[in-house]
Amino acid sequence: MRGARSKKIVLWSIIWFNIITLSLPTVIVIGASFTAGEIIQFPPEGFSLRWYQKLWQLDDFQPALMRTFYVSIICTLISIPVGTLAAIATVRYRFRFQKSIQVYLLLPFTIPLVVSGISMMIFFGEIRILGSLWPVGMALCIINLPFMIWSVSASVNALDPELENAAYNCGAPPVQAFLTVTLPAVMPGVITGSMLMFILAFNEFLVSLFLTDSRTVTLPVQIYNSIRSIITPDLAAVSVIYIVIALIAVWLLDRLVGLEIFLRSK
Amino acid sequence: MSMILDTKTNRRTVLKTGAAAVGMLAMPSVLRAQEKPKEIIVRAWGGAWGDALKAGVADPFTEATGIKVRLDFTEDNEIKPKIWAAVDQGRVPPIHVNWDTTTNATISALRGATVDLSDLSNLKGLLPLAKPSGLEGYPLVNTYAYVYVCAYRPEAFPDGPPTSWNVLIDPKFKGRIALYDDGIGFNPISVIVGGGTFADIPDNMEPGYEFYRKLKQNEPLLGEDADFTTWFQKGEIDVACTISVNARAAKESGIDVAWTVPKEGCKVDTDGLWVPKGLPANEEHWAKEFVNFALTKDAQQKWCSMLGLPPVYPGIEPPADLVGDPSYPTTPEDFAKLVSVPSPVLVENQPIWFAKFNEIFQG
Amino acid sequence: MQRNQIIRTRLGWKLLDGIERLVSALWPARFKGSVGRVLLLPAVLLIGILVIGLGYMIEYSFHELDLSTYRLKDEYSLVNYAVIADRPVYMRVLNRTLLAALIVSVTTVFLAFPYAYMLVRTRSALTRKFLLIALFLPFFIGQVVRAYGWLIILGKQGLINSLLEGLGLPALNLIYNYPSVIFGLIQYMLPFAILLIVPAVAAISEDVELASEGLGANWISTFRHIVLPLARPGLIGAFVVVFTLTLTDFAMPEILGGGTTDFIASAIYDSFFQLSNAGLGAALSMILVMIGSVIVAAIFYLAGTGTLGVREQSR
Repeated sequence: MRGARSKKIVLWSIIWFNIITLSLPTVIVIGASFTAGEIIQFPPEGFSLRWYQKLWQLDDFQPALMRTFYVSIICTLISIPVGTLAAIATVRYRFRFQKSIQVYLLLPFTIPLVVSGISMMIFFGEIRILGSLWPVGMALCIINLPFMIWSVSASVNALDPELENAAYNCGAPPVQAFLTVTLPAVMPGVITGSMLMFILAFNEFLVSLFLTDSRTVTLPVQIYNSIRSIITPDLAAVSVIYIVIALIAVWLLDRLVGLEIFLRSK
Repeated sequence: MSMILDTKTNRRTVLKTGAAAVGMLAMPSVLRAQEKPKEIIVRAWGGAWGDALKAGVADPFTEATGIKVRLDFTEDNEIKPKIWAAVDQGRVPPIHVNWDTTTNATISALRGATVDLSDLSNLKGLLPLAKPSGLEGYPLVNTYAYVYVCAYRPEAFPDGPPTSWNVLIDPKFKGRIALYDDGIGFNPISVIVGGGTFADIPDNMEPGYEFYRKLKQNEPLLGEDADFTTWFQKGEIDVACTISVNARAAKESGIDVAWTVPKEGCKVDTDGLWVPKGLPANEEHWAKEFVNFALTKDAQQKWCSMLGLPPVYPGIEPPADLVGDPSYPTTPEDFAKLVSVPSPVLVENQPIWFAKFNEIFQG
Repeated sequence: MQRNQIIRTRLGWKLLDGIERLVSALWPARFKGSVGRVLLLPAVLLIGILVIGLGYMIEYSFHELDLSTYRLKDEYSLVNYAVIADRPVYMRVLNRTLLAALIVSVTTVFLAFPYAYMLVRTRSALTRKFLLIALFLPFFIGQVVRAYGWLIILGKQGLINSLLEGLGLPALNLIYNYPSVIFGLIQYMLPFAILLIVPAVAAISEDVELASEGLGANWISTFRHIVLPLARPGLIGAFVVVFTLTLTDFAMPEILGGGTTDFIASAIYDSFFQLSNAGLGAALSMILVMIGSVIVAAIFYLAGTGTLGVREQSR
């Protein structure tokens, strides 16, 4: 069929353009991290693991990595119930000022991160929780919460409300209907959302900069600070470590629930 | 200031001077009374800057006192609001010592965020440069001078180094020139190269703004320390106005860079150290001791020669590669070739210059 | 084994009954109308922390900076807003930001849709996995590092210009200008947009498409009349997210713009940090948040709330 072929050509050329623009910097950075030279370049100058070695020997690298895991997990754990409930509420229930509430829920995106960072620093300082790590996780949850809400509401949207109604009509009490019908149906959205929240928290530096100090600093903040003076290939090496963590996460997810979970809608 | 206060300070100063004379290593009883913190945190610039502070001051300080020094590389502008908020809210500030530009340090002093350092024993005998101008006492202490030089790629200048800052508006270098992204280090120079005189600063900056408008046509890149290094590395630029330390560090890491002071001169400025208010008494004490330590001859020698900058401790010889270098001023004649704007003028006018710079280059 | 399972199931049911009773005791049926609001409460409270921050900003924005103490003056004034109105540069930067947000969001949604569509529709599990991984990996490379990668590719002595040189062509200025910022932003936003569009495409039954094509419609008109309208919630959602994120972005213009293509977030950053003028920064932030919220509200009213909203056709 001629139609099908032109469709394939058009769609796939756009997709390939996407894949190339998405992956090209990644490939360059991976290559550059193995350089034996002093600067980030591609093709790399020789091959060595010296920048990885340097990274691992840095006093602060491992604790900073651990703290990054910690705040990312806190962020994800808070976002799951909060985002899921909010998504169900916005899609399933009618209330007044619905659209205003949607605009309100999008404030984390319409407020620049610099401003969110400064104002949370002042507020957390005021209530004396600045300096602990958990507020950083909470802050990261706040600034990315719309991603969780949107991911889950996409799944709620796809769930036929008649299914829940059917459960109610068969006499299922509300909590049971929620746990046995609604929750499993929105799981794909919850997983996509959690994944996003974790990734974004793992990379966030601007807000974290204001909420951490040098004893509680996370890896992205440390990277951000170090590149202000000089950029060396250990920066590329950090990125590769991130990619490896990502690959492990993706592989685990595939083994545990199957990657198709992102695509299932029912 | 009242007489009583004066004598009090004096007595304390005398006490401390006596104590320090016994020697840091001997730990006299006055100091022993102060419980040592496990570590102190010093905000610093990274790269070559941080390496110099670590080798010249932080490591020897640890050796002498047993107190670890953690360097915090938060950018100088970004640590400002963090310290200010802590001081205003009565919290413990995130760092013990701030290594800062004199202008920013003066601003923090005006804001009342700094501890007075007048009683440091090692202040005596330093060059007059060490004393902050326009402020009472020592809310900060200047530690060395530095110059915003004209750094260039020799390859692009086969006939010798550029002799005038007019090179920045030479169409030959269109898109291949760079400045700091707020114009810092070039603001007073722009007035002079634009046809004004030093006396025009700060009341008549128009010649400088006119020069900026021409400069904009030449499509400069605007960035920070790391950007300059990257851009020289990757062959993006041929000329830049940057601090000599960055140019020297780039050269030492094998990048083909040289620097010069053009005939209009270069801006010379100072950096300093200060201690924020709100630290527990013993930590404040040791933070001040760190600053005091940084003013000793050995520390000044090592720290500043690694940076390649003239220290405030008198009589220290320049590093071999910088003897006679115009970016390393030592005599009054050397300083006469440079442009120095007093900190009070900078504090009051720099925001205006930054805003105007942005207005011209972001338009 | 089986007995155990039965006991467990029974226990499960007992537990469920218990929860049910607890909930109905805590939450009598007459409050049923407010369930939605209660579910929303945690999110509203969390984001409330940002609203408290906005409260600070409103307060700051009405005080002028005193250059002799570098604190905001006590008396209220409109000086900061007057300064913004007075300096044309802020208007230009704002326009530049808005234009970028529009270009980036339209282009990104356009590029993301085929990717999301193929991700859902492909029959090959391998292709799907490949597309998913290509989608997820860039998330893990920070913006700064990515920008550095682009410098290596697009720089004056970068890979593309070396290639052009090899072919005897003149070198191009591909980086440190407005288009390169736009390009960088599109690349950064693409994965977000794809992830937001995927569920919308997945919700479209393939039968509908096949039916349309079976009735003789070519794929373009099937897309135009069937697929795109059905995927509308996802497309709007992606558009809104990309638009707002671009509007407030700080890093990309900073590192790919060469310092002369600042966005409004850079101007806010400069006010707070370079000028130490929290009042001016706060006033700029208020203006940006207002503009962003008004545009988002307008989109929601005109086009529906996208992924967030209710499927109109089902009610």
